[in-house]
Amino acid sequence: MDALNYFAMSWLSPELLGLTALGTFLGIYVGAIPGLSVTMAVSILISFTFSWDVNYALCLMVGVYMGGVYGGSRTAILLNIPGAPSAIATALDGYPLAKKGLAGEAIGLSTVMSVVGGFVGIIVLALSAPTISEFAITFQPRDYMMLGVLGIMLVGSLSGSSLARGVFAGALGLLIGTVGLDPMTAEERFTYGVVELWDGINPVAVMIGMFGISEALHQLHNMNKAVVKQKISRIIPKWSDVKKYMPLSLQTSFIGVIVGALPGTGGDIASLMAYDHAKRVTKNPKVPFGEGAKEGLIAPEAANNAAVGGAYIPMLTLGIPGDAVTAVFIGALFIHGLNPGPLLLVEQPHMFWFTVGNLTLANIFVLIFGLTGIKLFSKIVECPKGILIPLIFLLSIVGAYAINNSVTDIWWMLAFGVFGYFMRLYAFPVGPVILGVILSSLTDENWRRAILSERGSVGDLFINLFHSPLSTVLFSVIVLILFTQSPIWTKWLRDKIFHPSH
Amino acid sequence: MSSQSPLIKTRKPGELLFCFLLVMGSTYLFWQAYNISGLSSLSSPGAFPLAAAAVMVLASCVAFLNTLKSPAAEGVRFVYHCFPPVIAIIMALILVYSIVLDSLGFILSSFAFLFISIQFLYRRSVLTTLTITLLSLIVVYIVFRLVFQVVLPEGIVPEREILSVIESLWR
Repeated sequence: MDALNYFAMSWLSPELLGLTALGTFLGIYVGAIPGLSVTMAVSILISFTFSWDVNYALCLMVGVYMGGVYGGSRTAILLNIPGAPSAIATALDGYPLAKKGLAGEAIGLSTVMSVVGGFVGIIVLALSAPTISEFAITFQPRDYMMLGVLGIMLVGSLSGSSLARGVFAGALGLLIGTVGLDPMTAEERFTYGVVELWDGINPVAVMIGMFGISEALHQLHNMNKAVVKQKISRIIPKWSDVKKYMPLSLQTSFIGVIVGALPGTGGDIASLMAYDHAKRVTKNPKVPFGEGAKEGLIAPEAANNAAVGGAYIPMLTLGIPGDAVTAVFIGALFIHGLNPGPLLLVEQPHMFWFTVGNLTLANIFVLIFGLTGIKLFSKIVECPKGILIPLIFLLSIVGAYAINNSVTDIWWMLAFGVFGYFMRLYAFPVGPVILGVILSSLTDENWRRAILSERGSVGDLFINLFHSPLSTVLFSVIVLILFTQSPIWTKWLRDKIFHPSH
Repeated sequence: MSSQSPLIKTRKPGELLFCFLLVMGSTYLFWQAYNISGLSSLSSPGAFPLAAAAVMVLASCVAFLNTLKSPAAEGVRFVYHCFPPVIAIIMALILVYSIVLDSLGFILSSFAFLFISIQFLYRRSVLTTLTITLLSLIVVYIVFRLVFQVVLPEGIVPEREILSVIESLWR
């Protein structure tokens, strides 16, 4: 009964309901504007909402997340410019449909299937998270430490062009997270005698710099791209179409949840896998794939929204994020004094059911906003970058200042923004840096607890790893990731794919 | 643009220097981490930073060597393709904005920053830029200062007095 009360909390409070609606609305627009990512929006929002009540802040951010993942499809269909990486597959068949004058129908169908995917993700989250969480309570310090390492490695290996670059970014984040007074002994680490550094570097400043400033700087490369004008027709999809494509939508939603739940993956990988699945299972499409097949439109859309619920599973149960946005969410929860991980569901079960209820509400708002206001939408999407980018800079600077009412945080944010720009330029992923900062204290403290419990013996720690099935699995996964990213494996794979006869 | 196959990873101008600087920076941080508590014990405050810095040194060396091996991209110039003047100018504008934000205050410094950067990036008439700047600033101010109650630097504008005068008009 309590669970139901918490579930309905954001539905019954006008303020929470309004904030979820506002967040979803903003998210759809942020997601739709190419270059503006949901991660960027959520990280900027943290700085403005960290003094709020946690429920209010979460409503706004959950709405932005849910709306943002869906919003990317709009520009993918209308302009052939995916607003977000998770909408890349949507553009393959969505834009050809728009060129045939079926933009409205494509948007309508993609909206309904996104909502279906969203619901599948939420249902799986609600059913599986408590079980996973119960299991995770048995984790020992060494398991937590390996989880931290695993989370950073997965994001590092999947979000960049090479493992070395991803691992570097993750380790840099870990190191940034250690700046300040050691939580166990109060010894100074990387403070250089500066009192302001005793509390460490604020993760929000790092987030805004790495995601907000660096991304906006990158957008300056594409300033001269012309804005495309739109014509919109009817958008309510035909019931016969909804019925016809529902089985495929459900199949790809499950793909989305599973892929989304794997740490380091997200809607982008989920949508591409779903597109591939749709291509394989659709024997005789009415229209060939790539030329406006509706199957190719709905599969990635259902999957990327389902991945949202999936991404919440490792975040809420293990404290490791499913994707970059949930990495930022973990930061937000920490700032609000919550501790995402196995104990969250035991100590604060209301947070879990509140989040599930809130995600459901946001998903309903996606349906409402997705099927209305399309004319206004097409105008806002056409907003020139020359106006948009200075506003992003302004919001980032104000956001960084608002953390502590201090210019120091602006300097940190700018430094990380410029560094992040060069990291992006030279294919170093920035996501693992944030993740490293967030997971730093968890990994550090649990490493020290684990090694202290083994009386300082690395040998004993290693041997005891194999006495616990969980530790063995975690250790094996880490080794497996290292192996699959090694040159030996890459060479073998390349030979197998490109020269299968050898 | 490069004529090389997209399958072959090419080296952008400045990439090698960037990777080299990462190696240098990581080595410096490794040394700094060592200075925290040396190699006294595996549970010491310096152990974890030392391990993280060691990983950074290793990973940056691998990245540097890989970059060294990859062929340079053809027809790509650092100043034109990687760090064009528009980015340098915008970075300089942000820097100046951050410096004057505290002393001039949010309203004046943000107005100047928005006006100059929109005029520079959007290139429309001064009147259009002025209108866009004012509208944007009003919306941002209302949303963040008045609705979200975010404390912003006042600087030389007597903001609180102006707000109280406006409030008194409604009484």
